[in-house]
Amino acid sequence: MNAVVAQDRIESCDPFPYAGPAALKPAIEAALRRVIDPEIAMSIVDVGLVYGVDIAARQARVLVTMTSAACPVVDVIIDDIWHELSRVLPETLAIDVELVWEPPWMPARMSDRAKAIMGW
Amino acid sequence: MDARPHERPRQGHHGVVSLGPAVLAVAALSLVVAVCGGLLRACPATAPPGLPGWLVAGASSHAALMTCGFLGTIVATERAVAVGRAWGWLAPAASALAAALLIAGDAAHGRLALLLAAVAFLGVNVHIVRRQPAMHTALLAIAAGAWLVGDALFLADAGTPLPWWFAFLVLTVAAERLEMTRLRRHARGTRLQLAGVVGTLLAGATGASLPGAAGTIGVALLGAGLLLLSAWLFAHDIATRTIRTTGLSRYMAACLLLGYVWLAASGVGWIGLAAGRPWRDMALHALGLGFIVSMMMAHAPVILPALTRVRLRFGAAFYVPVALLHASLAMRLLLGMDDLLRRGVGALLNAVALLVFIATMAGAAVAWRLARAGAVRPEVD
Repeated sequence: MNAVVAQDRIESCDPFPYAGPAALKPAIEAALRRVIDPEIAMSIVDVGLVYGVDIAARQARVLVTMTSAACPVVDVIIDDIWHELSRVLPETLAIDVELVWEPPWMPARMSDRAKAIMGW
Repeated sequence: MDARPHERPRQGHHGVVSLGPAVLAVAALSLVVAVCGGLLRACPATAPPGLPGWLVAGASSHAALMTCGFLGTIVATERAVAVGRAWGWLAPAASALAAALLIAGDAAHGRLALLLAAVAFLGVNVHIVRRQPAMHTALLAIAAGAWLVGDALFLADAGTPLPWWFAFLVLTVAAERLEMTRLRRHARGTRLQLAGVVGTLLAGATGASLPGAAGTIGVALLGAGLLLLSAWLFAHDIATRTIRTTGLSRYMAACLLLGYVWLAASGVGWIGLAAGRPWRDMALHALGLGFIVSMMMAHAPVILPALTRVRLRFGAAFYVPVALLHASLAMRLLLGMDDLLRRGVGALLNAVALLVFIATMAGAAVAWRLARAGAVRPEVD
């Protein structure tokens, strides 16, 4: 599987900054779209909480934020991200999910679909 | 965070969860004792002599145990989990200790522990404001300040702390809902309107804890603030959008919207109290049960897994305790307005609704485990 990681490395910004093998991107995006904010029934990708995914030779690093620093659900969401990614990534890759607060989350980060649901 | 290939550390993201079970167990005990004490107070007959001490404490400290011992401890636990620092647990630990002392009949130390809990909780919220300077985090800190004022009044036995304890809970909910309104396009003046509502509520709590004419004006202002907050929530909260979704999201929206109706009813109740009407039960319990407990029922399926690491499977059964709570409240507060028996039966059914809710959550935890064991992905986890 390391061969997969080494080949066809791409960088893109849609729907979140991604640097890594092109072959893995669809599965990673699908995995992150399965992580749902339960109150609004929307994926963390649609809410704009994923700040970036970087796949290196031995590590998959995911940067995420939350809409509120007072949110106690952060561990549950990080667990879900880890669980979903572990289902699609090669077992040799360490998964590192990092919570960041800069830049602060803004409503402009929401996807068009999310904005439509919320009546924008 | 260091992670070896596909080995997720078992502890929480921030690593501090060991106090959680003990604190939550005391919070649950506080709820049980407060509900039993509340039923004793709602009973139309005279209480017999020789009641156990904990039950007497439950009756005499009903409000402190519900608003601080139970809800205050839960809210402080939520915040401790969110900040992920060991010192964040000072507040819920002190609040749980206060509940235990009040139940044991040591009111003096219980009141002191409550004050310490509020001081620690204010510190946690100041930390959150520094981490994320925003109106909703500032409002959470103001809510923490309201808890501190209420606890100081309680310790000094100077004036009634209840309006401040309600302000603490109501402003906490308002802050959390304000945070969610960021998902909607803001109408002009949304935040300014809420600032006006908060000002009205704080002015009301200030007056309502005083005696005489200031107290009457304060009670009326508190009622007006609650009515205005209900209108603001109906106008701006995402629940009016998410009620059109499905599953857990729709369930949460239903609880929220029903709660906003009771919030308005309690506003009317407080205004009626100021006008000399006998609407005390409406003022207190449309707010405490109809609004606050409905908020708790809305968020518990999301918050419980965050606090206990126990996952829940959503199902239609979640609506049963919600329906029972709101129907029994209507019986108690509307049909029971001039009928003590109906009011008492309504209060008893309120307690049954809470029991059914606890049983439903326990069943949802079992259902999630069964679903996972059967390799069926839970609908909501």
